Amino acid sequence: MNVHPYVRCDEPSGPSASGLDRRATLRLFVSGTALALASCGRPSEQVTPYVEMPEGETPGLPMRFASALALGGYGRGVIVTSMEGRPIKIDGNPRHPASLGATDVFGEASLLSLYDPDRSKTPRSDSRIQPWSAFEAALRAQLERKKLRHGAGIALLTGRITSPTLVEKIDGLTKSLPEVKWYRYEPVDDDAVRAGSVQAFGRALTAIPRFGDVRVALMLDADPLGFGPEQIRFAHDLIGARRSHVAQDSLRLYAAEPAWTLTGAIADHRLAVSHQLVRNIALTIAGELGAAAPATELPPAVSEFVKAAADDLAARRGAALVQAGRSQPPEVHALCHWINHELRAPIDFIEPVDRVAMGHADALGALREDLDGRRIDTLFIIGANPAYDTPGDLQLAEAIGAVPFSVHLGLYEDETAARCTWHLPQSHPLESWSDIRAFDGTGSIVQPLIRPLYDSRTAHELLTLVGGSTTAGSGYDIVRNHWRKANNGNVDFDAWWRQSLQDGVIANSAAIPAPPPSPKLPQLTPARAGMNFTLALSPDPAVFDGSMANNAWLQECPKPFTKLVWGNALHMAEDDAHKLGVVDGDVVQLTHGRHVTEMPIITRPGQASGTLAATLGYGRSAAGSIGSNVGVDLYRLRPAGGAWVIENVDIVRTPRRENLLRTQHFFQLEGEAEELQPRLSLADLAQGHFAFTKPDANPPTLYPQTHYDAYEWAMTIDTSACIGCNACVIACQAENNVPIVGPDQIAVGRDMHWLRIDNYTVGGRPGFSPVPCMHCEHAPCEPVCPVAASVHDSEGLNVQMYNRCVGTRFCQSNCPYKVRRFNFFGYADGEEYKGFGADIVKAVFNPDVTVRGRGVMEKCTYCVQRISRARRTAEKEGRAIRDGEVVTACQAACPTQAISFGNLSEPQSSINAMRSEPHAYALLGNLGTRPRTTYLARLQNPNSNLGKPQS
Amino acid sequence: MTMVAVAGREGASEVERWTLPSARDFETVNALIAAPLLERGSWSWRVWWTAFVVSVALTTVFLIMIFMVFTRGIGIWGVNTTVVWGFAIADYVWWIGIGNAGTLISAMLLLMRQKWRASTNRFAEAMTLFAATIAGIFPIIHMGRPLYWYWLTPYPNTMHLWPQWRSALIWDFWAILSYILFSILFWYVGLIPDFATMRDRARTKAPRAIYGALALGWRGAAQHWYVYERLHIALACLGVPLVVSLHSVVGMDFAASLMPGWQETIFPPYFVVGAMYSGFAMVVCLAALVRWGFRMESLITVAHFDVIAKVMLTAAIVMGVSYATEWFNAWYGGDPTDRKLVAFEFTGAYAPMFWTMLACNVAIPQAFWFSAVRQRISAVFLISVLINIGMWFERILIIWNTLSHDYTPSMWRLFIPTFWDWVTTFGSLGLFAVMYLVFVRLIPVVSMHEVRRLIAEERSS
Repeated sequence: MNVHPYVRCDEPSGPSASGLDRRATLRLFVSGTALALASCGRPSEQVTPYVEMPEGETPGLPMRFASALALGGYGRGVIVTSMEGRPIKIDGNPRHPASLGATDVFGEASLLSLYDPDRSKTPRSDSRIQPWSAFEAALRAQLERKKLRHGAGIALLTGRITSPTLVEKIDGLTKSLPEVKWYRYEPVDDDAVRAGSVQAFGRALTAIPRFGDVRVALMLDADPLGFGPEQIRFAHDLIGARRSHVAQDSLRLYAAEPAWTLTGAIADHRLAVSHQLVRNIALTIAGELGAAAPATELPPAVSEFVKAAADDLAARRGAALVQAGRSQPPEVHALCHWINHELRAPIDFIEPVDRVAMGHADALGALREDLDGRRIDTLFIIGANPAYDTPGDLQLAEAIGAVPFSVHLGLYEDETAARCTWHLPQSHPLESWSDIRAFDGTGSIVQPLIRPLYDSRTAHELLTLVGGSTTAGSGYDIVRNHWRKANNGNVDFDAWWRQSLQDGVIANSAAIPAPPPSPKLPQLTPARAGMNFTLALSPDPAVFDGSMANNAWLQECPKPFTKLVWGNALHMAEDDAHKLGVVDGDVVQLTHGRHVTEMPIITRPGQASGTLAATLGYGRSAAGSIGSNVGVDLYRLRPAGGAWVIENVDIVRTPRRENLLRTQHFFQLEGEAEELQPRLSLADLAQGHFAFTKPDANPPTLYPQTHYDAYEWAMTIDTSACIGCNACVIACQAENNVPIVGPDQIAVGRDMHWLRIDNYTVGGRPGFSPVPCMHCEHAPCEPVCPVAASVHDSEGLNVQMYNRCVGTRFCQSNCPYKVRRFNFFGYADGEEYKGFGADIVKAVFNPDVTVRGRGVMEKCTYCVQRISRARRTAEKEGRAIRDGEVVTACQAACPTQAISFGNLSEPQSSINAMRSEPHAYALLGNLGTRPRTTYLARLQNPNSNLGKPQS
Repeated sequence: MTMVAVAGREGASEVERWTLPSARDFETVNALIAAPLLERGSWSWRVWWTAFVVSVALTTVFLIMIFMVFTRGIGIWGVNTTVVWGFAIADYVWWIGIGNAGTLISAMLLLMRQKWRASTNRFAEAMTLFAATIAGIFPIIHMGRPLYWYWLTPYPNTMHLWPQWRSALIWDFWAILSYILFSILFWYVGLIPDFATMRDRARTKAPRAIYGALALGWRGAAQHWYVYERLHIALACLGVPLVVSLHSVVGMDFAASLMPGWQETIFPPYFVVGAMYSGFAMVVCLAALVRWGFRMESLITVAHFDVIAKVMLTAAIVMGVSYATEWFNAWYGGDPTDRKLVAFEFTGAYAPMFWTMLACNVAIPQAFWFSAVRQRISAVFLISVLINIGMWFERILIIWNTLSHDYTPSMWRLFIPTFWDWVTTFGSLGLFAVMYLVFVRLIPVVSMHEVRRLIAEERSS
């Protein structure tokens, strides 16, 4: 009898030998029907139907939770938006000092990492899938052996840990097993900064400039606006200090640097000098301020610059600041401390948040020695990837591979996982309970937004196991218990806990600044000019240290200056490239010592001659489907000391060329840049020496005047405040379900970002202007659409109806701003790039925004879904939408509030005030498009003694 | 066109005759034209078969391309975020331009009483019909969502959605549609007397039945001829404005925009002349092939090539003046964007193509000033091929130059054609060839009744 496999047929079969009898047939029919109705059995556990909603949860309404995300080990407060239990957007936490409500690219993009299909999902040993219990058993056996020797041979290798709970846990571990060693390193280290403070003050102190109080600043290869855990806060303060239109009240910025930094781009005076010359500039400044510094020879242009800067600094004591960058040696940092002391610079000094005294490079060196000496046989690598992101000289990958019992806890099965005996999946920060401190010491509780997607553990849970506990315990209990103990019963702990979670900030946890001891004047000799080429390394603007290489949003995020995506390139000064006979895309060979690498070049006007610049974070071999084999790995070239500057690099050209994937190409322009991105000095502004197309200009038209009854949405972008950090670009991508297209599509000139940042060079100085849709009142895209898919709505928005669009692309051909984006393939709809099409990635989509199909035009909507939400709320409350109630995603992300949004029909609205600023202008306003997005010209505050701004 | 003497060529030399003495009587003409269709066995079709196989192969790739576009998306072409239009639109404008000449030759020359058109109008009209049909394919396949092409039509629907009448693409849609309908009608009306001749000459059953049905009962009665003439003239009167409006509308696809290099009032007339230009060039190519393939030396004479060469020379001068007007206006208008665009045309990334275009469209056809060139069929043929290439470059450059170099330098990008782009262009040539080869095998390739009249007139004068 042929029976359905799921039907048990234990009764004797009927008398009919030839087939089924009537009873058997009926029985089968009934059981078949029953199986069909309840084919999946009820789970063994008690289940609760979704009859009553969880408290506070309404389907379709987002919930927001405060948490914090780490960058380089320091926290940035975030507010995560969750829809029906699914995190869909990360915003900044206004209460958190390292966020102030804004985000950076990495914070925005970590959402995508949560849903990364390449994430590690299960423990593995010898590339075989293993249950956690197998690991626990193996670990217990290993620890039993170790306990007798007080943990000798056990080592922890981690990144920077600022989590108080985790630090306590490690302390506890080293107490019970005193021989356990802890090595801490970050690929983006601050060794020189820290060593400089030790030289100056005798102990490590963290200097945090109060940029808000600074009026004159000299950046010696320092980049406070650059990428890192302090970026948002420093950008906010620094740009805030430049807002005044009175030259005396506006921060004047001088920068001397070998290669372009975001800070240098915005500086009022910027000088391209070699890495070595920066030190001599510092010496000269110190000499001008009365230090017994050795006299240095400076080239005339540099000398003039330094003199003007020194005078300016000296004139503004108490509001003047000199800062050195991480690539400068400790002596220069110490010297800057002395100068700042002389200048009474507004700097807060705090005890280092990272308590580990040993430098990052030293820690790696010590680890290497211990590995060589076979003093480590049990290695726990937690959240780090030393096989990739440590200096090539150390050759740690091989050394780690030789450790008999090595455990790697990480988000991905990366280069290090492949060399460890055990790999364990780590929970994403959005799945974990933890805590973290910001660069200024402010603590936050990290709370999960979602139950771990996979069978992963946090570092807390792993360390609990290592500590000898038989179960990992729950992260929640571990963190909570730590803070209960830390609060010592002084407060109502439950209320404290709730408040801390709600705020995203632990009250009064910031480190308290203390006046530092008087800095010693270091004995410095002037630097000699560097031999050969000097290679300046920096973390990448898109993938930072490489740990985020598998994040497609970041890979496709155009780098601020070069607009390069999906890879890195070697930046060369124009004259060097000319001498070598290479042009953009030519591949050169770099040699330093025994390390050789090849990479394509990009010429960079305004980079110091003899300086090469490149970013770390690329060339991953096991990042995942998105990030592997993208770009060139420069960690391999880094010497054992982990320096940011490699001197004496040889460079030769090769016959190869590579196609550079860039979203903006750079041309010799004839005045377009000045019109599209005008620059004004504060003096010009005061005297009215300029003529722009005003936002309210009314060029002649045949079209009837349109009237709007309720709202007239408009955006104003202050190009003075734009630092080019791309936070808005990724925020827009996350908010509006903008897909990535992949390197092949970028190569043929297709991209999907609704918001791009145009980079034009005027007078040798790059500048940034974010370009979203202009929402023209007389939009050229509208009359050309044959099916009226591009239309104006009653609030003045230029809207695109995806389901009406037939894809003639006439709208984009006729758009003077070229802000529309076309789905040439189903980028989000069946033809996704690599892993981007996995089911899990779909969870990242914002349910309020349509996912566009193939063949459809799309563009910036001014976050119309946010406007709708505000309108619904307002209508429920029977009022109009308030000024500032609608915040677009790009606006929310911007660390410097460069983007404003509001209602023009409200005469008192701040947007009206901004549009009537004297330096407001409409981009290509002469075409009669009447854009709703308008700009404020970039203002500069040059020193009149120094002639025109230097390039 | 008054420079062409009309009739009265009895004493003219060989190169000035519209027909040669060998085609002196009606029966010879009928036999010459009908024989390849009715007495196939006596003709060698080897060349035809070779051409057919090649063009069917090309057509197959063209169909594969369409399949790829429908299944994978238009991303298989080289179009990008900045240059959102590419070969499909250029091919469309090129084909629709070619589709212009048949109607011009038939209708305009008919109204202008240019008798010599008699032996060329049939295959020129066929060319028009096929070219317009192929042109009609491109606007549909170029769309991102071609399955919704009918949204461009004002069909009744429950959502009260209507096309957007301000869009030049809607004007275009109607212009192509009416032009194709007109071309079919005009062509067919002119064919009716010939179908009757074919019916009468057919010796086997099937051709007789088919041609008989197509002849719609034509008996050659005086009343038939009277009605026919009226209808033909009336259609010609409709056709001339239609062909002008069609190409004006195609020009307005670009002119009714905001883009530098497109937003120009000269575009509509300039597109009409350009279309006539490329259309005549294509007619020359087809005339030479038909003449050679069907041994029609007595009906398609050197004088035909001579006169068409003169038309093309005029068009070449008009094109040159039009280009110069654009450049002058860019300079005189003073808009820096326009000026830089002209500079980009001459010196930018597409400059080699631009110079080739100028050579093919303006410089080389100046050879037609010399009668020695005009009366050498191989030379006229060669220059016509170059004109067609030049005109194709013009179409693609109108798109590329403007879109690659508009108001926003940050988005300036170039168009790099893909394999499928070339398939689109050459595949459409294959499809055209297939249709044309089928046409010459089934339908009289030269209008018998009009040639008969031409002979009668030439004889009587």
